[in-house]
Amino acid sequence: MMRSYRILIILMLCLLLAVPASAKIYIDITSPSIKQLPLAIFDLQGAQGKEVSEIIRNDLTLTGLFMTIDKAAYIETASQPFNPKNWTPLGIEAVVKGTVSGDRTLTAEVVLYDTTEGREILNKQYQTEKDLTRQLAHTISNDIYQAMTGRPGVFRTKIVFVGDDGGEKGMYIMDWDGQRMKKLGLKGSLMLTPHWSADGTKIIYSSDRGRQWSIYLLDFQKMSEKKVFTAKGINMAGDFFPNGTSFVFSSSKDGTPDIYSYNMETSALKKLSSTHGIEVSPAVSPDGSRIAFVSDRGGSPQIYSMRSDGSELRRITFEGSYNTSPCWSPLGDRIAFSGRHAGRNQVFLVKPDGTEQVQLTDQGNNEDPSFSPDGRYITFTSDREKAKAIYIMRANGEAQKRITPKDIRALGPRWSPN
Amino acid sequence: MKKYWILFALLTLILAGCQQKTAAKPDEQLQQKDGAVQQKEADKVADSRTGTKVESIDSKDGSSLTGEGKEGMFPDVLFDFDKYDVKESYQPALKSLASWMTKNGSARLSIEGHCDDRGTNEYNLALGDRRAKAVRDYIVSLGVPSARLDVISYGEEKPLCKDQTEDCWAKNRRAHFVVLGKAGK
Repeated sequence: MMRSYRILIILMLCLLLAVPASAKIYIDITSPSIKQLPLAIFDLQGAQGKEVSEIIRNDLTLTGLFMTIDKAAYIETASQPFNPKNWTPLGIEAVVKGTVSGDRTLTAEVVLYDTTEGREILNKQYQTEKDLTRQLAHTISNDIYQAMTGRPGVFRTKIVFVGDDGGEKGMYIMDWDGQRMKKLGLKGSLMLTPHWSADGTKIIYSSDRGRQWSIYLLDFQKMSEKKVFTAKGINMAGDFFPNGTSFVFSSSKDGTPDIYSYNMETSALKKLSSTHGIEVSPAVSPDGSRIAFVSDRGGSPQIYSMRSDGSELRRITFEGSYNTSPCWSPLGDRIAFSGRHAGRNQVFLVKPDGTEQVQLTDQGNNEDPSFSPDGRYITFTSDREKAKAIYIMRANGEAQKRITPKDIRALGPRWSPN
Repeated sequence: MKKYWILFALLTLILAGCQQKTAAKPDEQLQQKDGAVQQKEADKVADSRTGTKVESIDSKDGSSLTGEGKEGMFPDVLFDFDKYDVKESYQPALKSLASWMTKNGSARLSIEGHCDDRGTNEYNLALGDRRAKAVRDYIVSLGVPSARLDVISYGEEKPLCKDQTEDCWAKNRRAHFVVLGKAGK
C-alpha cells in the first residue's frame, strides 16, 4: 500500500520533470564521429569545492565526449558573474560554476551555462552529508551529462568483483571509478564472477564451501545471502533472466558441465544443452530471448548462442582456438568476449551473428568483459601490470585504465545495471 | 514552483514515514544515508547497494563439511594444456593407487581437478571437473567403486605454483589426491 503510493508520487514527480525546459542536444552520442565539446569546469567555491570539481572533471573526461579546458585559460574568475563574451573567443561552449557550502551537511549549487546562447542549461541545488561528497559529485556529473547528451550518465553505477588481498578471496563492491571499495563479508574463500539481476538489487555467484560448488544469491536490499542451487558436481552461475526470478547456469550434475535454467519461485529446472564436452558461462541477452555460452563441442572452447529454450543453436566465434566469457551489450547488438590471440587472452567484440569481430585490447592478458548500463564502457580484468586488476575502457577500446589497487588480485568484474 | 516544494515535502514525509518502520537494521540506515543526495527538482531513489557493510550480511548457508584428509600419499596426475585425457605414463601410478584402495576398503578418496591460470575461471573450473572425472573413471575401471571416490574441481583457484612459466603451469594442471578416512563419512 505504502509502496504503491510512493511509486505514484515518484511517477508524478517524473511527469513534472519530463516537461522539457530545453530539448537541445549538445552532444549526439549516436553520431559516428563525435567532436569533443570544450567545457570549462570551475573549482566550486567552498572548502569541498575543489574535490567535487575534480571528480566531475574525471567523470566527464572518461566519456571522451568532453574536452575539459585547463583553468589557466580562463579569463573570468569564479566570483565574477558569467559573461558569454569571456568564453566564446576561447571556443569554450559550456561553463560549470557553483558553490559547495556547509559543514556536516553539504549544500551545492551548480549552474551550467551555454556560452553561445548565453543562458543557463542547468541550475540545481543539492544537499547531502559530508561523507557522501563523491556521490554528490557523481550526481552532478550525471545531471551535466544528461543536460548535454539527453542520456542518463553512469557515474553512480557500481562494479562488483572477486578480490584476493593476500588472505581469503572475497566479493567486493566499488564505485565505477574504483573508489569507495568495500569487501562484502561473505563466507567461503573461493568464489567466481558475480552476476547482477536486471534491477540491480541482487547478484548470484558460485562459491566453494565444504568441497561443494553451489550457487548463492546476495540480496542487497535485505543484505542477506542464501544458497539457491546445489547438486553433485560443480554448479556455476550463470546469469539472471530479465524477470529476476530465473537464471541460467552450468552444472556437471549429470557428468559433464551442461547449461540449465532454474526458476527460484517454482524450483523448475530445465536442461537447455547437453554434450559430452564442456558447456559453461551462459549469458542471457538483454531481452531474455537468447543465451550466449561457451562450448567445446567443436574441439575447442568457442562462443555459441541458442534461444532461451535451448533451440536454434548458432556458433558465433570461429577465429582462434580459445574464446570464452561472453557478455551482451545492453542493446543486445554486440557480444564482448575474451579470446586467445597470439598466445594471450584479449577482449573482443562481435555481432551476435558472428560478423564484425574487433579486438579491443593488446597488452597482457585481458578477460571477463562486462558492459556499463549505457553500453559505452567495458570493465575487464588485465594482468598487463603483473597482478590481475580491474580496468575500464570505452567500448571502442579507448582510454584503458586500471581502477583497482595493485595489492589486490582482482577478477570477474561486473558492472551494475543501474 | 511552489507546487514542486509541496510535492517534494510530501514525498520526503512519505519516505521518512516508510523508513521509520523499516529502519530497524543498521545496514538500512546506512542505505538511507547513502541515498540522501537530495535535489531541489529531482529526488534520486536511494542507491540501496552502497550501504553494504561487512558485518551485516546474513548468510543462510548450512554447509559445514570440512575436507580434512591426508595429502601426499599419491603423486599428482598432470595434464596437457586444455586437455583432460589421462596420459598412459600415469597408468602404473594409478594402478598402485587402485590396489591400495582395494586393500584399505574403508578409505575414501577425493580427487581434485586443477588448472593453470591461463584462460577464464569458469571454463577452468569445468576443465578441472573433467580432469578429476577422467581420473576417477580410470580408477573405477580398475575395480574401485565410484561411491568411494569424490571429485571436486578447483579450476585455477588453488594454484600449487604461482609463477608465469611453463614449468609452473605444468605443475598446476593436475589431479590431486586427498585420502578422506572412512567411507560414508
